[in-house]
Amino acid sequence: MTPDARKVDEKLLAKMRIVAARGFSNSAQGLSKMIGQELSVHSPDVDLVPLAAIPDILGGPDNDAVGVYLRVEGELTGQIMMVISYQQALEFCDMVLDVPAGTTKEFGRMERSALSEIGNLTGTFFLNAIYEITGFSSMPSPPAVMVDMVGSILDVVVATMGAISDQIMMFKAVFQIGERKIQADFWIIPDPATLDKFTVAEIKEL
Amino acid sequence: MTGAMSSVGLGEYCVSRDPSDVVIAFGLGSCLGIGMYDPIAHVGGLIHVVLPEQKAGTDPNSAKFVDTGIPLLLEKVVAQGGDKSRLIIRMAGGANMLVSPGLSGTFDIGTRNIAMAREVFKKLNLKLQKEEVGGQVGRTVRMYIANGRMTVRMMGSQERDLGAV
Repeated sequence: MTPDARKVDEKLLAKMRIVAARGFSNSAQGLSKMIGQELSVHSPDVDLVPLAAIPDILGGPDNDAVGVYLRVEGELTGQIMMVISYQQALEFCDMVLDVPAGTTKEFGRMERSALSEIGNLTGTFFLNAIYEITGFSSMPSPPAVMVDMVGSILDVVVATMGAISDQIMMFKAVFQIGERKIQADFWIIPDPATLDKFTVAEIKEL
Repeated sequence: MTGAMSSVGLGEYCVSRDPSDVVIAFGLGSCLGIGMYDPIAHVGGLIHVVLPEQKAGTDPNSAKFVDTGIPLLLEKVVAQGGDKSRLIIRMAGGANMLVSPGLSGTFDIGTRNIAMAREVFKKLNLKLQKEEVGGQVGRTVRMYIANGRMTVRMMGSQERDLGAV
């Protein structure tokens, strides 16, 4: 049995699902305000994902994508990764920069900065929600934006978690924005020590 | 494996002597794709290693680690008829994908993977012939078993011979 499989019992999963639902809905609200568009959260969940299956998202490891990555620091530690397909990330930039659809053609300084801001904001709102219901205080690091193949972007998560376990516990959700249906995979990956904290934490009902 | 494109995933390897085979490691970031090919026996293998070293007892999959993966691949290529002294060895990957002032350097596993690979090659008396490693770019690596050709492709560019920059 891997260390994670032992730790992640049903009780912890149930607890984490409350945290995930709260966190993602708070992130979505924050992001909605920033871009002035209705944003919905789909299938927020907590799951144990085999490491080897991770690069298969967004059409596979060879596809072009954009990743926004943040470390979580403080009482809770972990990683935040938002992954969007290349084309959809261009459309996302149009929205955030408030320019007509199809304007963004590449990821220059301004576009990367906009994507950083999105990562920073969604991460901060998520962590604020966790603070509200658990009392654990943490904050995101400055974001790193990666424009590259899906596999190479996700190597960042795989390499940091791979030494610990063959399975990763992650909070997953898909954000969908407006009628243009931009889909962003949004993951939160708690460090093992942080999972221990959640195991004993009291979750406040709001 | 017969006459197919075969994907070598995280912590996997593939050895073949079927000339119609192409083995591929897609989207290597900090991971390394290491290829060994015997041009006489026409046998080749590719491994997709993730981390520099296998810490005692933590993970039984030796193909996941540079320090255990290289000897494993060598053993499997030799078992399929490859001769150690003839092997053409090439590697690609080991990038540092995180370029943010607050983050870079912290988890530079790519650089550690490369350093470990060089150490292991030296220890095993293997000569690394070509490499395309480091930087901040993802790479897809292919090995054509028919002739041992090994190629690299990066985002938005064409496939080309490894090391032919």
